[in-house]
Amino acid sequence: MTYQLTIEPLGQTVAVEAGQTLLDAALRAGVYLPHACCHGLCATCKVQVVEGDIEHGKASSFALMDFEREEGKCLACCARAESDVVIEAEIEEDPDSENLPVSDFAGVVTAIETLTPTIKAVRITLDAAGMRFQAGQYINLELPEGIGSRAFSIASPPAASPEIELNVRIVPGGQGTTYIHEQMRVGEKIRLTGPYGRFFVKKSARTPVLFMAGGSGLSSPRSMILDLLDEGFALPITLVYGQRHRGELYDHEQFVELAARHANFTYLPALSDEPPESDWTGFRGFVHEAAKAHFNNDFRGWKAYLCGPPQMVDAAITALMQGRLFERDIYTEKFISAADAQQVRSPLFRSL
Amino acid sequence: MDMKTDKKKLGLKEKYKLLTRDLGWETTYHTADEVFPYVKYEGIKVHDWGKWEDPFRLTMDAYWKYQAEKERKYYAIIDAHAQNNGHLHITDARYLSALKLFVQAISPGEYAAGKGFARLGREFPGVGPRVACQMQAIDEIRHAQTQIHAMSNYNKFYNGFHAFADARDRMWYCSLPRSFFDDALSAGPFEFMIAIGFSFEYVLTNLLFVPFMSGAAYNGDMATVTFGFSAQSDEARHMTLGLECIKFMLEQDPDNLPIVQRWIDKWFWRGFRILGVVGTMMDYMLPKRVMSWREAFEIYGAGNGGALFNDLARYGVRLPLEWNDAVKALDHMTHQLNLGLYQWSFGTAFHTGIPSDEDMAWLSKKYPDTFDKYYRPRWEHIKKLKEAGTPFVNTGLAKLCQVCQIPTPYTEPDDPTALCLRESEYKGELYHFCSDGCQRIFHDEPEKYIQAVLPMPQLFQPPLGGDIGAWMNWVGLKNGVDNGDYDGSEDQKNFAAWRATATSNQ
Repeated sequence: MTYQLTIEPLGQTVAVEAGQTLLDAALRAGVYLPHACCHGLCATCKVQVVEGDIEHGKASSFALMDFEREEGKCLACCARAESDVVIEAEIEEDPDSENLPVSDFAGVVTAIETLTPTIKAVRITLDAAGMRFQAGQYINLELPEGIGSRAFSIASPPAASPEIELNVRIVPGGQGTTYIHEQMRVGEKIRLTGPYGRFFVKKSARTPVLFMAGGSGLSSPRSMILDLLDEGFALPITLVYGQRHRGELYDHEQFVELAARHANFTYLPALSDEPPESDWTGFRGFVHEAAKAHFNNDFRGWKAYLCGPPQMVDAAITALMQGRLFERDIYTEKFISAADAQQVRSPLFRSL
Repeated sequence: MDMKTDKKKLGLKEKYKLLTRDLGWETTYHTADEVFPYVKYEGIKVHDWGKWEDPFRLTMDAYWKYQAEKERKYYAIIDAHAQNNGHLHITDARYLSALKLFVQAISPGEYAAGKGFARLGREFPGVGPRVACQMQAIDEIRHAQTQIHAMSNYNKFYNGFHAFADARDRMWYCSLPRSFFDDALSAGPFEFMIAIGFSFEYVLTNLLFVPFMSGAAYNGDMATVTFGFSAQSDEARHMTLGLECIKFMLEQDPDNLPIVQRWIDKWFWRGFRILGVVGTMMDYMLPKRVMSWREAFEIYGAGNGGALFNDLARYGVRLPLEWNDAVKALDHMTHQLNLGLYQWSFGTAFHTGIPSDEDMAWLSKKYPDTFDKYYRPRWEHIKKLKEAGTPFVNTGLAKLCQVCQIPTPYTEPDDPTALCLRESEYKGELYHFCSDGCQRIFHDEPEKYIQAVLPMPQLFQPPLGGDIGAWMNWVGLKNGVDNGDYDGSEDQKNFAAWRATATSNQ
């Protein structure tokens, strides 16, 4: 049995399974709720139930008082939904979130292009007016043959609607990505849902924007950069983009061309495993090293958006913090798996 | 005439802003430096208190409401415990040694933390941390009170509880935690936050409270379990306050890093020394055990502490200097301290005892590399001496560590057969230390530690003049009643007799 959990004041709705805690459902959908002990004792995750029925689970009677239960409070780490539920949590309203509703869309594959030996670009034209989304968000693509749905970040800007582009790296043994690489054909009918995610540019902060992307993590930053340049964003934008070698550095020419055309856009490609004898004149090393060298280890005054493999994101966070940019100015795109949720984490950081 | 009223209820955020951040003001009669005189001398640079992010948004009015209900629930259970002769439901009166040690050594620390946070509630210029510190001050006093009240039910029936306040100041084993809190209380406001908010609340609380409360639950002590739950509902708030303060210091200025690192080094080691007492309680004092001290450290110390240090590494913070010494001590510390408690048990306001065969089998299983090799033979020897009617008693005084004040019972990190002793001369006086960590801490601030009050030397000074009987009066210890072996004690006999009355028609 699956219920809908709506989280106010974000207005975001996520699915919650019977038996799953509200906290687990929210975190997995990328909505951060404050929490600490995760077993009903500390009350950090206390939220207000506005509508619907919940079961309190193992919430301690000292952490959740009787009068609070009567007022409709619950501990998200223990509470389970018994109907569709609306909760109000103590989270900041994000002035840059358009809180777009999630809907189902139908479309058709209009182009499939090989970007690198392991990455393909899939262009899908959606029916009617297409989907409204914020640059940086992702969709769930439904795949046939019982594969189910897979999440992909949108690589094209919202202005390209009704067409969207997905860049898909083949995962060895992965059913979904193997299907897309080997069986998907132009003209194929597609269904997808979206937009999802809270990874988008905090334009209202009016600060320069730094993107650090690696591997197949370029999709969201690409969409975000095209969107910013398209709307005439005047503050500095820097993209530090890393791959192992030149053959994998897809979209390189496009960014070189954009940097030539826009004075406020700086493009810094970095190759970590390029053969020493090649004619590559750009940076050799990892993304965080390229950023550190370019910024002379001082990132103060910027906001950073990180997208890529976990090791890259981890190294980037450390480099940024040692260059004095901290949690409040660092944004990462997160897909939290069941394994991540069970990892021992310290409560030092809330959103990193 | 009807007044028009605005019935709109304030949102959580607005309410928090009005009742917290808006309570501050810019000083005009005096400079901010005059009003907050202690916030700069430690060298911590703060450029913008507005960057302090309140880790929880609790207003004072809501705080009172929550705490009042916690008290109501707690005292309802304590009353039921008293009326229901809860003291007869524990596994065995041997368990009470753990409680006696707790009320003598730890509860006064809660009270001291209360005093410290009341001071911080005055001394921090930022409004958010001040309000949070005021709440924590009240929490800590509440914890001390509820713990003392939980123990007072046992005090009606058993020995050793009555003089906990004197014990706190005068007992040799209590001077270990007392010196920790004295050191923190006489430090500046930021260092106090690291000492209590970080070391005590984060590194130690899990290792202290979780095993202690589980120990209580495993041994049928509802009163203690209840104060544990009641206190733990505040601990997450305390822990996040401590961590927020560390983040704040590290983010405000790069020059703060070496200062914070030095405090983390110091307070990790000071905290680890206190854990010796907790670990010994877990391994030796619980009739029914939850887990070994080593297992607890693996989960809460290495697991949770390790995760924290991984995150702190992003700021350039490294593991505490003595982390490896701590890891090396895991398999030895509790055995060595308990041997110390046993041989000086004429001077403890709780009972000790020789582990039973069953206890020793458990200890060998939990400490396969060390117990049978180093510690079982000593207990076998001590057992023989007792059976021969010549129990082993040490009436000598060990050297006291000038920093942690423990009577140097521990061995070298790399040699469990050699006593670890360090000494340094400072201004013509010789000072002793239990470890490299404590010696290093001394040399960072020698003028502070030469002023430390060490209670044991009082025994040889007027008016006691070496008279052990007079010393026992001074510390509130009744010889032959409160101290010595549990086997044959009044507590043992009374518990057996009362339990027999409660469970039979005799």
